[in-house]
Amino acid sequence: MKLGYTIIYVKNVPETVAFYEAAFGLTQRFMHESTLYAEMETGDTVLSFSAEEVIELDGLAFAPNEKSAIPAGWEICFITEDVPDAFEKALAAGCSPVSKPHEVPWGQTISYVRDLNGCLVEIATPMNLEG
Amino acid sequence: MRLPDGYQERVFTPQQARSVEAVWRHEELQAGRSLILPDGRCDVIVRYNADPMVVPRLVVSGPATQPYWVTFEAGDRWIGVRLRPERGGVLWGDDLGCAKDQVALEDEAEDLVPELAGLCVAGVSAKDLRQALVRFVEGRPLSPEGHRAGESVRRVHLTGGRFSVAELAARAGCSTRHLNRMFAGTVGLSVKTYASLVRFHRALRLVCEAGGSLSDAAFEAGYADQAHMTRAMRRFGGFVPSDIPEGLIRPDVSGGLWGNRAA
Repeated sequence: MKLGYTIIYVKNVPETVAFYEAAFGLTQRFMHESTLYAEMETGDTVLSFSAEEVIELDGLAFAPNEKSAIPAGWEICFITEDVPDAFEKALAAGCSPVSKPHEVPWGQTISYVRDLNGCLVEIATPMNLEG
Repeated sequence: MRLPDGYQERVFTPQQARSVEAVWRHEELQAGRSLILPDGRCDVIVRYNADPMVVPRLVVSGPATQPYWVTFEAGDRWIGVRLRPERGGVLWGDDLGCAKDQVALEDEAEDLVPELAGLCVAGVSAKDLRQALVRFVEGRPLSPEGHRAGESVRRVHLTGGRFSVAELAARAGCSTRHLNRMFAGTVGLSVKTYASLVRFHRALRLVCEAGGSLSDAAFEAGYADQAHMTRAMRRFGGFVPSDIPEGLIRPDVSGGLWGNRAA
């Protein structure tokens, strides 16, 4: 099987799309006319946002993402060459800081923020994959 | 974060560090004093000196909830083992209930750990001390209740102390009263106190390393507001968030990859 989507359930889809455009420099690829679902331009593996209320259509339930609560045990990670710049831009757009840019022993620079819905977002330099 | 393939050093997580008893060593070349922050765990320590004529002293600490100063002379050395949080009961037995913030010395310490009593003689080598401490840990296995408590300790750390006692109990499949009884008999602290300590240490790290304001740190740590974080830092550290002491030693509950960072 192919990984199709990472879908984050949020309270307000258009607000989240605008936030991700401002905070992380993404662009919207698709917005459903109901505004209950949207996709960002992220290449083959789509980052989508779906309104929380949609899950009840299928009888699902989950712990909602909330800025004031502890985040869920997963993250999305954005790769960039200039992490400090991207970190500042994310904070300026309203992300809350969790771990400021710092180098890890294998030479990567990583940082963590939480987005407007409280989701964990990592901003890091590319992994050096050469042997 | 993505862990690298092919990177030589083994990644060693804080959870791994908490799950084994690690023998640690420390030495002070000059006289002075250090502020030790509480982390709710027990230590068995032998304190000696570079001067082999100084007789080693056995020190057994109960679960600490308050900061304390350790004063030392030039050449003072320590070798000790910091026990897993859920191991307090293995060390103190029926006395665990009175062990909070207590330190047992000399005869009292030797009563608690008779396996180590023979170490307090002049001229004993660091190697002997280390071996005795390792044997001591191996000789006292953890009870099933200790293992169960350890699972909740793990959850407290993963959630940064932000889960309520009710949520922790629900995930442990027991009542809050039962979880507190389990903690009382193994960790030696209430669930709430242990979680508060974990929350305090995370808040301290956020203040120093998150890259945001004090209010950001308080919120991310799970405090109702900055005033609550200030109160916790006063209680567990004796300082306020805006005035964290320079070079503060945080208890080494971190894993081996990043090491122990001073504030």
